[in-house]
Amino acid sequence: MPRITRREFLERSVKLAAMMGLGATAAPRIAESLEQLAAGQAPVVWLQGQSCSGCSVSFLNADSPTPAEILTGSISLRFHSTLSTATGEIGMEIVHRMIQEGGFYLVVEGSIPAGMPEACKMGEESIASLVSRSAQKANAVIAIGACAAFGGIPAAENNPTGAVSVPRFLENEGIAKPLIRLPGCPCHPDWLTGTLVHLLQFGLPELDGFNRPKMFYGRLIHEQCPRFADYERESFAQTLSSEGCLFKLGCLGPQTHADCTLRYWNSHTNTCIKAGAPCIGCASETFASKADFPFYRKGESNKA
Amino acid sequence: MAKTVHIDPLTRIEGHLAIRVEVENNRVTDAFSSGEMFRGFEVILRGRHPLDAQQITQRICGVCPISHGVASILAQDAAYGVQPPNNGRLARNLILGANFIQSHIIHFYHLCALDFIDIAAIANYQGKDAVLVSLKDWVTHQLESKALYPAAPFLPRYDAQYVSDAEINISAIKHYLEALDMRALAHQMAALFGGKLPHAATLVPGGVSETIDAVKIAAYRSKLKKVQTFIDECYIPDVLAVASVFPDYFSIGKGIGAYLAYGVFPESSDGAARLFPPGAMIDGKLEEFEAGKIAEDVRSSFFSSPSGLRPSEGATVPAPGKSGAYSWLKAPRYGGRPMEVGPLARILVAYHRGTNTAVKSLVDSVLTRFYSGPEVLNSALGRHAARAIETKIVADRCAEWVEQLKPGAPTYHDFEIPPSATGAGLHEAPRGALGHWLEIRDGRIANYQCVVPTTWNCSPRDDRGARGPVEEALLNTPIADEKNPIEAARVVRSFDPCIACAVH
Repeated sequence: MPRITRREFLERSVKLAAMMGLGATAAPRIAESLEQLAAGQAPVVWLQGQSCSGCSVSFLNADSPTPAEILTGSISLRFHSTLSTATGEIGMEIVHRMIQEGGFYLVVEGSIPAGMPEACKMGEESIASLVSRSAQKANAVIAIGACAAFGGIPAAENNPTGAVSVPRFLENEGIAKPLIRLPGCPCHPDWLTGTLVHLLQFGLPELDGFNRPKMFYGRLIHEQCPRFADYERESFAQTLSSEGCLFKLGCLGPQTHADCTLRYWNSHTNTCIKAGAPCIGCASETFASKADFPFYRKGESNKA
Repeated sequence: MAKTVHIDPLTRIEGHLAIRVEVENNRVTDAFSSGEMFRGFEVILRGRHPLDAQQITQRICGVCPISHGVASILAQDAAYGVQPPNNGRLARNLILGANFIQSHIIHFYHLCALDFIDIAAIANYQGKDAVLVSLKDWVTHQLESKALYPAAPFLPRYDAQYVSDAEINISAIKHYLEALDMRALAHQMAALFGGKLPHAATLVPGGVSETIDAVKIAAYRSKLKKVQTFIDECYIPDVLAVASVFPDYFSIGKGIGAYLAYGVFPESSDGAARLFPPGAMIDGKLEEFEAGKIAEDVRSSFFSSPSGLRPSEGATVPAPGKSGAYSWLKAPRYGGRPMEVGPLARILVAYHRGTNTAVKSLVDSVLTRFYSGPEVLNSALGRHAARAIETKIVADRCAEWVEQLKPGAPTYHDFEIPPSATGAGLHEAPRGALGHWLEIRDGRIANYQCVVPTTWNCSPRDDRGARGPVEEALLNTPIADEKNPIEAARVVRSFDPCIACAVH
């Protein structure tokens, strides 16, 4: 692995601090954390809020590097609810001690029930409080998946728990930290491992206005769609499972930033649109948010 | 005097679960199971377009999304009066089957094995396997380092009795790593017809949106073959090896002895014939399953909606902090009784029906190894054994289904959504009986209720005060050391709890 000099670290850290609106004084601390990451021991605490664990399961689908390579070579995953051998008191002791020590990377999966803190608890503490305390002591925060990044289904219209995304929650708490959003339902394993590896070898990836890495979210699904030629020819699928562009069945590819149509899923096995399924915009900032904005537009094309 | 022992969070399950047990003279005398998370999917679904349901309900759980997706499209098939063509039914089975396999593999190796296997044994490894040598180097380096928590997330752990046999430990550690690849491979199988996993894209009422060709059939077959070899040569032998070291777990974690299965994997177009049949086993007697006997109590749950409602008219009104409540799970009951659901329930129902010869011969051959009858299956180890047996049965049947696919033949029948309709989708998730109930009015979802496997298994006390199945199974569990209550954790994990599902 190419080693980066201290000077390079500092340069990148200043840039990173500026991007996060933190000012140059934060740079040395960021440099230290980038160095730690490059040394292959970057401590990571992974907390789950209102999640389905889908992003954790998706992370296990990473193939190169594999999850085992990441866990033993790049990061030191100090706590993860689904993977940690530590359970009960021992698990909470790790989380509390990490918060006390600081200097770790905080990965959050799932939304935060800001309006009903009792709706998600761990070790007799609300996840809202745990995320707030952890984020204050973390080097950087990675909001992974649709729920953590933008609120997702738990934060959809009419939700009873007042769920919000992690960035919104941190903003409400007045916590400013370097922050990366990795939306998608679930988050593609490459988007997470790629972000970690980029941090490790090259520093912070270039981010867009939503703090999403441009290398994964820089373009629209539509621009890279395997059915783009059908769209150009105005050859539209009339029913599910038909050939043709899926736009008239409700496909949200034209307004969703992600690279699944090029990257594919499950070790390049398949992807939604190729499998005849309209993109439901799971990586989009508005995913599932409105009750009167359905995923499918069945039958509409016949009426027109 | 009884001492209260908390396990909060119980890690290596899906979701947020807290277990509280009362321990007296090193035995559990009482137990409480608390689901610590709530999102409100049933509330969020109200007023939405009915087709949204299969996408939204899949997001109830990232470990078993397919089961929710299929329950939702079965409810919609019923409401719209549509049946999938043969290819559509088979593709659904192949997607669901592949996800059963990945879920069971993840459960045994990545969630449970470290409660039995000594991961530290790798430090004494003398062999030449490159993967194990590099793992040994990593663990040794970590343990020698001044790291705050060396070898995280595999250490620290409960100070307890683990397997001492070096060969069993090393082979299980090797298989822990191989199992990571195998479950990813099973996800690839599912993605061939599902578009992507977790959260498949292709599940739709009337069938699936993906089409069938020879390349996909060949790819599924080829990946499945590798997974089948792993199940036969690693998974089943590893469960038997753990059982040989911890035979006492054939008597620890004894459940309530009442089992419920809705049946799963349709083998005819109307869904009447299924690989695993429905049924209820109560006090050793097999009964026909009656959906009308299901109701949900909420006295001990954080909901103010009425108690004892049937799912078709169910309601979900959260009431955090409600007096006397201790869980976000409701308490589903069958004819007023708590019921255990899951692979053990499915296997026992199938075994006692006797129609599936593969189930009978596999169960008998495993039991012969321990000179025992089916009664020992009602235990923590019995659940692991049933799960492993089921993995093999599902994988072997997937190999037959994939050969029944017809390239180019339709996978989908079109349908109209009526302005008003109702439908129920009752089948099985890896963790047990799963039901979705849908009511449409004015073309929108008027009510949607899910009764989920772990809601049955990890439910709190019902309105009559009866414990849920996991609470009951914890009773009498020996606890050698209250500071390291690994025995209780082993019992709870044998149920494969999925709290995101249970609370939804």
